[in-house]
Amino acid sequence: MKFTFHRKRIAGLLTVVPAREKCFLEEMHNFNFPESRSLKLKEVMGFDKRRVVEPGVCVSDLAVFGLRHLFDRGLLKPDEIDALILVTQSPDYFMPPTSNVIQGRLNLKQDMICLDISQGCAGFVIGLMQAFMLLEQESVKKVVLINADVLSRKTSPKDRNIRPLIGDAAAITLVERDTEDSIIHARLKMDGRRANTLIVPAGGMRMPSTPETAMLEDVGDNNLRAKDHFYMDGTEVFNFVQVEVPPLIDELLADAGRSAADMDYFLCHQPNRFMLQKLADKMKVPHDRMPNNLVERFGNTSGATIPMVITCNLAERLEREKLYVCLAGFGVGLTWSAMLLQLNKVHFNNIIEYK
Amino acid sequence: MNKPEFYQRLAEILDAEEVKPENILKDFEGWDSLAVLSVLAMADAKYGVSIKAEEIRAINTAEELANLIASKQK
Amino acid sequence: MKHIFRNKKIGATVTVVPKEERRFDDEYPGYKLTEEKAKKFKKMMGVDRHRIAAPDVTASDLCLCGTRWLLDRGLLKKEEIGAVLFVSQTPDYFIPPTSNVLQGVLGLDHDVIALDINQGCTGFLVGLLQAFLMLEMPSMRKILLLNGDTCSKQMSRFNRINYPLTGDAGSATIIERCEEDNPIFCLMNMDGTRHQALMIPAGAYRQPSTPETLVPREVEEGVVRSLQHMQMDGPAIFNFTMEDVPKQIEAALSFSGDSRDSIEYFLLHQPNEFILKQMTAKMKIEPAKLPSNIVGIYGNTSSVTVPQNMAHNFGAELEQKSHRVLMSAFGTGLSWATMVMNLGPLAACKIMDYEPV
Repeated sequence: MKFTFHRKRIAGLLTVVPAREKCFLEEMHNFNFPESRSLKLKEVMGFDKRRVVEPGVCVSDLAVFGLRHLFDRGLLKPDEIDALILVTQSPDYFMPPTSNVIQGRLNLKQDMICLDISQGCAGFVIGLMQAFMLLEQESVKKVVLINADVLSRKTSPKDRNIRPLIGDAAAITLVERDTEDSIIHARLKMDGRRANTLIVPAGGMRMPSTPETAMLEDVGDNNLRAKDHFYMDGTEVFNFVQVEVPPLIDELLADAGRSAADMDYFLCHQPNRFMLQKLADKMKVPHDRMPNNLVERFGNTSGATIPMVITCNLAERLEREKLYVCLAGFGVGLTWSAMLLQLNKVHFNNIIEYK
Repeated sequence: MNKPEFYQRLAEILDAEEVKPENILKDFEGWDSLAVLSVLAMADAKYGVSIKAEEIRAINTAEELANLIASKQK
Repeated sequence: MKHIFRNKKIGATVTVVPKEERRFDDEYPGYKLTEEKAKKFKKMMGVDRHRIAAPDVTASDLCLCGTRWLLDRGLLKKEEIGAVLFVSQTPDYFIPPTSNVLQGVLGLDHDVIALDINQGCTGFLVGLLQAFLMLEMPSMRKILLLNGDTCSKQMSRFNRINYPLTGDAGSATIIERCEEDNPIFCLMNMDGTRHQALMIPAGAYRQPSTPETLVPREVEEGVVRSLQHMQMDGPAIFNFTMEDVPKQIEAALSFSGDSRDSIEYFLLHQPNEFILKQMTAKMKIEPAKLPSNIVGIYGNTSSVTVPQNMAHNFGAELEQKSHRVLMSAFGTGLSWATMVMNLGPLAACKIMDYEPV
């Protein structure tokens, strides 16, 4: 489905990453693969360092830490927040919503809306759309969008396909109205027939967690995994991205009457370096206009990757110039989404460590 | 607050023949979460006051409860 | 939050309940309750019977059954659906979203947006708000709002206070645009400082499921639960329903320019009859206008109570013509929301038993 939004902007970006760093060269010995093959994987995928939470650290902990950082520096006032959208697949609780936990821990006002949305790698674009929709209402002036996951806690230590990929983070995005008559175009598609491509089979109501669902099982490709663990069909995901994402972006560019050459950057979700290079090639976009350097520094941080890729690559430039960019998120659902917007006057744009 | 009337109402909630000021609420067999709810409802409906969850948890005797409600009426 | 939405309406709604009905009179001996105490509890809370889903039936199954019913009767066509909203605290999975699973099972096209929102008892109104927001976008088609919960699976069978009050249900509601102005007045508040008043401590990421979190413990006489079971701070919830909610209802009436007389039906969430009667008395609302019978017939079904209330008590009236209603729901978060609107005529306003599809 296609959408247009008017007079909305990203006013600030702050990402919170755990201080604890894991290094692939150290971790690879835990997996049941020869060293040479693991080193090859490192080269192709861009695996190097990733950030993971200490045991017990939750999404609300990262989010509260980041929001306090903004409050302490006067970059945001608690009472200004009219809506708090938390996009996560790793909530603190089944009940209550984790957005309410954050609201309570920070003593935010009662006259606001808190919303937990379950989404993953496409969650930044979906969260922005949600923020824009709320900002259409007169009473909503500032929306805090939080994309946060601690999925490292649901990865098997014996699964080389998943474990070395996943990083934890919380990205906080301040979204507000723009005084300029900016137009934002977006497209969003979903295909639930392929819902089991990325899945945690147990832990919900379909298969409640039991001691059995926590048991590691030999899944046949030299990896061990429990039903409580996150699973991804890597081949299926690769094909999905190469087949579905380029036409979506083409359609979106056509909606806006633009060409790929008009875009300063293509800021995509960051599954791994290989997939992004292939995507750029397929779209005939030079690699330097589609950054792919997040996985090697932080891991794949689910819905937080796009704001992080902006901060890691464009923070300095955005202090002085406007950039017209295409965002693209794709993943669980399956979901694929893209958005064209102008980035300008981003008040804050940095990454901090959770302590 | 009419104290005898209050203790009478409390006795009805607790299914007790009589409640004396010095009686400890926890000692009544009828003092369960339903009774707590009924006390909150009585305070609201009959005395126009609202008792907080932590206040009711801190209450020991029937008299303390009466005093708490009476103090809130002022 | 205060909004007025225009040119939008609820088109139809169907609630699905499990067939299995359990009666309190048969269950109470399991709670170590004396007959006398059981009678008192039953009378005070308005407990009588409730519907419990089979072990392999989830909230999404109940919602799917309702959706199929709407589709089979031509009340909704697949190609008319622009979004599937699944509002629940008992999703099929953490990953993927349950709404995507449903999108796949229903064979909906790629342009349909599937969105899972985690909400409890306020979930029908949060879902309506979300649907109204989405309908403001010109490309949006009809919204299929699914509210479903199988709270009985997160409740100890040996919690004599809460289990008899709990029921499972799912609803499917169509939200669409309309020609008429039809202003919908909406108030919503949330207070996370009280998020512990109604919660399930373990089972997600704060305290992951382990053999220990599954062990049931007796926390007070007759109240047995594990850390993966729902727990409620009764006094805190009572005060919440007697203070915050009536205030908001008053504010909503003055926001919409209505009075107790101009509202025909007060459709409130149904935690138990006791609280509803207290609220009715406090707000001086005519009891006949504010039904409190749902919990005693089906159990408290979380966010489904409002559409269930519509269908059970006023189904025929709402299918026939428009009525002035006030909806109010409140629960975990804490969150509370009230809407005043003209409701009906609905293409369907039904309640039915679950049939596997």
